Amino acid sequence: MNNDNKDVLVEVKDVSKHFKVEGGILKAVNHVNLEIRRGETLGLVGESGCGKSTLSKVIMGIYPPTTGQIIYHGKKELVVSKKNLFEYAKVAQIIFQDPYSSLDPRMTVGSIIEEGMIIHKMYNSKKRRERVYELLKLVGLNAEHAGRYPHEFSGGQRQRIGIARALAIEPEFIICDEPISALDVSIQAQIINLLYDLQKKLNLTYLFIAHDLNIVKYISDRIAVMYLGNIVELSSSEELYKNPLHPYTKALLSAVPVPDPKIEAQKKRRLLDGDVPSPINPKPGCPFAGRCPYATEICWKDFPEPEMTEGHLVACHHVEKINNIK
Amino acid sequence: MKKILEVKDLHVSFHTYAGEVKAVRGVSFDLYEGEILAIVGESGSGKSVTAQTIMKLNPMPPAEILGGSIFLGDKDIVKASEKEMMTIRGKDISMIFQDPMTSLNPTMPIGKQLTEAIRRHRKMSKSEADKEAIRLLKLVRIPNPESRVFQFPHEFSGGMRQRVMIAMALSCEPKLLIADEPTTALDVTIQAQIIELLKEIREKTGTAIMIITHDLGVVASMADRIAVMYGGKIVETGTVEDIFYRPAHPYTKALLQSLPKTDMDKNTRLVSINGTPPDLLNPPQGCPFSGRCKYTMKICLNEMPPNFEPSKNHKAACWLLHEDCPYTEGKAVDGGEGNE
Repeated sequence: MNNDNKDVLVEVKDVSKHFKVEGGILKAVNHVNLEIRRGETLGLVGESGCGKSTLSKVIMGIYPPTTGQIIYHGKKELVVSKKNLFEYAKVAQIIFQDPYSSLDPRMTVGSIIEEGMIIHKMYNSKKRRERVYELLKLVGLNAEHAGRYPHEFSGGQRQRIGIARALAIEPEFIICDEPISALDVSIQAQIINLLYDLQKKLNLTYLFIAHDLNIVKYISDRIAVMYLGNIVELSSSEELYKNPLHPYTKALLSAVPVPDPKIEAQKKRRLLDGDVPSPINPKPGCPFAGRCPYATEICWKDFPEPEMTEGHLVACHHVEKINNIK
Repeated sequence: MKKILEVKDLHVSFHTYAGEVKAVRGVSFDLYEGEILAIVGESGSGKSVTAQTIMKLNPMPPAEILGGSIFLGDKDIVKASEKEMMTIRGKDISMIFQDPMTSLNPTMPIGKQLTEAIRRHRKMSKSEADKEAIRLLKLVRIPNPESRVFQFPHEFSGGMRQRVMIAMALSCEPKLLIADEPTTALDVTIQAQIIELLKEIREKTGTAIMIITHDLGVVASMADRIAVMYGGKIVETGTVEDIFYRPAHPYTKALLQSLPKTDMDKNTRLVSINGTPPDLLNPPQGCPFSGRCKYTMKICLNEMPPNFEPSKNHKAACWLLHEDCPYTEGKAVDGGEGNE
């Protein structure tokens, strides 16, 4: 990791999000610290229930955090709160997972894209129309699509509309919440290429959330791995895949099937036993202790603080021992 | 090896308000004892309809089998009555589904759901069936099966429920297990457990497995042979090595290239397939891929290509493989080049 090049756009400072549920407190996100740098793509991976979507909603300002804060250093300098959400929405936007339920079926594509600009009082109506056509072209659709309705489009095209809507108010920061999970394999590559081109052209910063680790590795500069509400490892994407240090990251990576039968035949999987434990009233200690093959007494007692180890930020008591680091 | 299933020129349509959706248009394949065959395709390619038709699970109407045969041994399933199907389902062929959350009965203990089929098909007494249920849960590695049989589905996690489904599917020692996207709803670490379990079961019981998936990683990790479906047709079949290392059909090639490789970084662009799959309300007359293929010739639009055999037991339906085809670029059985 290059420490000099720390031009931080979004600072996630000690953020937790707890929900009161029947039977206790659901700790969806636990004291997470994260820096999203200007112009980068930060990948956030983890299994379902690890808190990645909750974290993204806190970063987006949709959920107020239980502890900590989100600080934004862009065109605007602000600590995200309910009061300045409107201002924040002008610089930070989100692309949703499901292109079917995230577009209003009764609105034309043109008015879906235009709506944000109207709300933020951007341009006059003539200029807005022009912007809509421009945006449609930018995401690979045609100006004539503006008068149509969402149901006339395929999943991939709808995702393009969702992207155009997010870009309409010229944000700097976009959260991509599983933007390709609902799409077919042959369409996924189209959307990934589009997101990459847009990032270059418009100098965007992405927080890219996904569970498809092959795609995340491809698109991200750095990757954060979440487990049960905690970030257990963070490093550059290449480093993470070449040399994962946390036992959970190791298991996660080895579980991903690679589309190459020869590699698969040789691969020795580290199968994890059991399931992700419940985040309701979690036990103290390391969240991964119950499934970790290296767990000792200390892991059950103390929560491991994330520490820099060989360029990775790793939260593990035994990281040196496991990886033979002196 | 013994052939256990032979599907020949199967045609299935759905009658809808919009018209006749020709979901499966002339699908043929064989399945041998102890084999894992993967049917790969995008949504709407007809892979799930093919599987459901083998079990005759799709409601008719709106579905209709317009032609073809499905031979299980010497019995044609297409002609079988519903009563005959009751003895085939669960006993000869069983199926596991994508969503383990909704495919179990929430109001019945797991053990009772398991023994239902055992008692029906295997004529066992209640106590024998209970023992058998525990044995099956052990086989799929559910801890403490003795007490777990009394629990309800909501007390199991997603991965555990899929294990229960697998146990249930295996309860009558079927010749064929159809797994329709068995790991799609599961997390990767759980997916890895289920893949290992299915492979282990094939080793132990010799059951043939037909796995339907869109995930080429899953396919690479477990299949022996692959059939690639597109637009209601099988466009290529071959061994795992054939399909991954010597793909012959442009769709298969493009599909493989659209996946990010492990050694790729952001500077290498992903190869994308332009356009969208064909509309099966009004399927193209010729090759289903002709609208998106970069090698499309006039004949591709007018006539469906027959199967060519680039190598033994490797079939691909593409005019580029015809001996008179002038192209050489697309014909070569190599990685090929992608279309942007």
